[in-house]
Formats: sequence, C-alpha cells, structure tokens
Amino acid sequence: MFKKRFLTPYLFLTPALIIIAIFIIYPIVAVIYYSFTDFSIVTPPEWVGLRNFQQLVNDPVFWQALLHSFIYLLVTPVLIILCIILAIIVNRKLPGIHIFRAIYYIPVISGSIAVGICWRLMFDTNGLLNSILLSLGIIVEPIQWLAEPAYTLPIAMLLTIWMGLGYYMMVFLAGLQNIPEELYDAALIDGCNNWQKHWHISVPGLRPQITFIVVISSLAAIEVFNEIYILYGPLGGVLNSGVTMVFYLWRQAFRLQHAGYASAVAIVLLVITLAFSIGNIRYLERGSEAA
Amino acid sequence: MNQIQNANVHNTTALRHTLETILWYVVLCLIALVTVFPFVWVISTSFKGPTDVIYSVPPQLIPQNPTFANYIRVWNQLPMGNFFLNSILVTVSTVVFNVLFTALAAYPFAKMKFPGRDVIFYLLLATFIVPPQLTYIPSFVLAVNVFHYYDTIFALIFPSLATVFNIFLLRQAFRTVPDDLIDAGRIDGASEFRIWWSILLPVVRPALATVAIITFVAQWNDFFWPSLMLHTRTNMTLQVGLANLQGMFTSDSRGVAAGVVMAIIPILIIFVLLQKQFVRGLTGAVKG
Repeated sequence: MFKKRFLTPYLFLTPALIIIAIFIIYPIVAVIYYSFTDFSIVTPPEWVGLRNFQQLVNDPVFWQALLHSFIYLLVTPVLIILCIILAIIVNRKLPGIHIFRAIYYIPVISGSIAVGICWRLMFDTNGLLNSILLSLGIIVEPIQWLAEPAYTLPIAMLLTIWMGLGYYMMVFLAGLQNIPEELYDAALIDGCNNWQKHWHISVPGLRPQITFIVVISSLAAIEVFNEIYILYGPLGGVLNSGVTMVFYLWRQAFRLQHAGYASAVAIVLLVITLAFSIGNIRYLERGSEAA
Repeated sequence: MNQIQNANVHNTTALRHTLETILWYVVLCLIALVTVFPFVWVISTSFKGPTDVIYSVPPQLIPQNPTFANYIRVWNQLPMGNFFLNSILVTVSTVVFNVLFTALAAYPFAKMKFPGRDVIFYLLLATFIVPPQLTYIPSFVLAVNVFHYYDTIFALIFPSLATVFNIFLLRQAFRTVPDDLIDAGRIDGASEFRIWWSILLPVVRPALATVAIITFVAQWNDFFWPSLMLHTRTNMTLQVGLANLQGMFTSDSRGVAAGVVMAIIPILIIFVLLQKQFVRGLTGAVKG
C-alpha cells in the first residue's frame, strides 16, 4: 500500500516525461556532443574537439547570419507599439467590434506557409504591389522586390509583423480589460487628455503583457525560418541576404549534411537565446518592481 | 431660451459623437483592409481564367470569367486529398494524446508532494527557452536510425505527444481546484486516477479546451520538422504539400492561389465556429 502510494505521482508523469526525455532532453545533450564532432547524419560522429567552433569564427556567412538574426529582433518593438495602439482602438465598445477583432485575427491562424505564399504572389515582379504602385504613378518601372538583397529582410520582417498583429493585439486587449475603469476616471478628473490617459495608465498597466510579448516575440524572431524559406526558397535570398541563424543551421545540417558544424551553430543559438531570455526577464522584472 | 440653448448643445454633441463613431469605423475598416487584402486578392486570383490577367495596370480585382479550373488542375496534379487526410490524422491524434498525457503529468505537479518534484518541474521549464530547431538534428538521427519512421506521419506525431507549455498551463489550472474536492474523493476511497478523471478534469474543462486549441493550431501549421521528415508526396501534410506546390507551379500563380485557398479554408471554418474559444485559448495563456 505504501509503495503504491509512493509510486503514484511518478506513474502520472511517466508518459509525458518519456516523450520529453526522448525528444527534448536527449537532443539537447546530443547536440552538444555533436558540436564537437565531424558528423553527417548518415555516418557516425567523429570527435574533432573545437574544430567546428574555430571554423565558425572564420565563417563570414555565419557572422552574416548572426547579424541578420539580430536585425530581425527589430520586429519586437514594432509589434509592441503597433499592437498596443491596435488594442486601444478595438477596446472601444462599438457595435460589430467583435467582427473586426476576428478579421484582424485571420492572419494569425492561417499558417505561415499559406500566408507567405500570398505575400510572395503580391511582391512578385508581376504581382499586385507593382500593379498598384505603377497605376498610382509612384514608380515607373516594376521593382524586383524579392530579388533585391536590400529588401530581403525588411519584407520578411514585415510578414512576421503582419502575421503577429492580431495575436499580440488580443493579448494586449485582455490586459486592457483588466485595468480598473476607476483609474481612467481619475485621470479624466486630473485633466488628462486621451493620449496622456493611455500613456500614464494603459501602458504601465500592460507591463505583464509587454514582458510576455518581449520574451515570446524576440525568441520567435531569433528562431525565424518559415518566412524566409517560403519567400526566398532554399537559397535564402540573393547573396545570403535572408540567411538567419536557424536558416544557416538548416542549410548546414539538412542541405549540406554538415550536421556537426550545424550543431555548433545550434550551440551558439542556444547560448544567445538563454542569455537573451534571462536578460529580458531580469530587466523587465526589475522595471516592474520599480514601478 | 435656456431650453433652446440646451437642445443646441445637445445636438452638436450628438453630431460630434456620430462623426467620431464614423471616423472610428473608417479606421477599423482601413486596418481590416490591411489584414485581409492579401487573402482577398489571392481568392480573386484563384478564380481567374487564362484570359483574366493577374498583372495589369491598374490591377484587376474581380475576374471577368470566373472559373474553377485552377482548383481542378491543382486537385488532379497533386494528391490534395492525401495532404488533407494526413494533416487531419496528425493533428487529431496529436491533440488527443497530448492533452491526455499533459493533463496526467500536470496533476502531480499541481497537487502532490513527492521527492524530486521541483527539480523535475524546473528542468522542464528550462527546456522551454530552448529553440525547437536545435533538437531537430538529433531527432532526425533518431527518426532514421532508431524509430525508422522517416517519411511517415508517425515522425510528426510521436515528438508532439507531450509539450512543456501544456503541462505548465494545465498545472496552473489544476492548482485553482480546491483541495477539499480532492480530499473528499480520497475519503470516499477513490483512486488517484479516478479523482483525476472524474473530479479534476471536469472542473478544468476550459483549460483543456485552451490546450487542445493551442496544440491544434501549432500542429496544423507546423512546417519545419514535417518538411524534414516527409518526402513522398502522398505522405505529406497540407503545409509541406503547399510549399511543394509553390515549387511545382512556379509559373502558375492561379494554381498556387487555388492551393492556398484550399489550405486556409478548413482552419478558417473551424476558427469561425469556435472563435471565442480560439481567442481565449491562444491569448488566455498570459494572465498577468
């Protein structure tokens, strides 16, 4: 009887823990090991010490990928600002407002592949964007949006932002609806105008949501792959202009069969995400204590 | 005199109010235009016949000779039926077992004391920040050498049967259930499994729905791992098939557009039917 009692919690945990151990914990350990080996998935790994990391330091494409991933982080502040404004707009009690919220949510659920293809068709040289710009007389010749290295990252980032708008808007909306109405009334009595009201009450009130979104969306930005792949294909844009960390990992591991080298890229990615998450949470928590 | 003045003030504020409301609707419609316009254009393109131009100045939005030909062509040249079936099989089995397994694991974390509880829990939480793509290199080796499920949908199902995030969410939900309820069950001599099944699960049903929806959307739209695993066309899910279609039909925008519309429709229907649960499910995870 005692033994059975003792075992019960572990029995509940077993199915989930087996899956997580095999598909998350083991791979993390394995990828650390692989990063010190020469390994091509089909052949067994061979220990090479720090060679992969030495090679990484001297690899210009890796540094380019690192830079691109950091540039990609710009989607986070843009999303936060846009989505707070959007949430304030859809927080008005207007008839039919639910329909608008639902419409804004459609890109969130449609999936990055379908949405990415829509964008590809729009940004195509023979696509809608060029037709509109030409007919408005803004440009005189069609622009090759997807073949121009300077536009590669901005277009992908715009897509990420566009897909995230509805989701983060709803997160902020839920936050706004938790802010007590009396605070706004008090602000009105104190003579705040509409903008001051939101700046002094809504924004500080949304701190937990901002923390959450900073962490989640910057992780997503640093792990971006689908948008790049579907817009620019397996080459990742002209002259590697769209190659990010995860894209480079994918190319090395699954295109070029350099799984050992890709594992070294993965380790760098892991260190960055860890440092980033810890830094973010610390910084934002300290801020909320001060507030 | 006073009354007339009052009425005037009343009228102007009412007018201002109406104008303001109209202005808000204009703003709302403009934003809606930004979020749905790409879809509208793709739907229009998918119905365009060979004589309707896709690229013109000014752009043509409404097809002059609407046709289903693009849909029929895509359906005949690609195993779209297989794509749908595979996606449904993967998503449904993942949702069912994932909810079951994570709900089982969440109970002891929320309501039992046992050696190692906090260590295991924080270890799990720590894996949450690990980028999933990092685990795919070893998982690929496992799929090929150990489990031999490369190029089958099992390769998509097994790794998704439990997720740390869902355990975390359900643990939060279980913690809100009063201990008295559980103690009452124990006094009645119910087994822990029975308590979990007939006392806890019914109480946390909204949280179960949340977890089911999160898993559903994530699995339905997943692309990176499925694209690594699935190579034979008839084994592909909708997302992998769609990416494949884009490669095959590079010069056929009308066909690509038809494929996109077919892929979006199922999830859109589910979204319209379960709108409230969707929004609550996907955003409710962040309660302060």
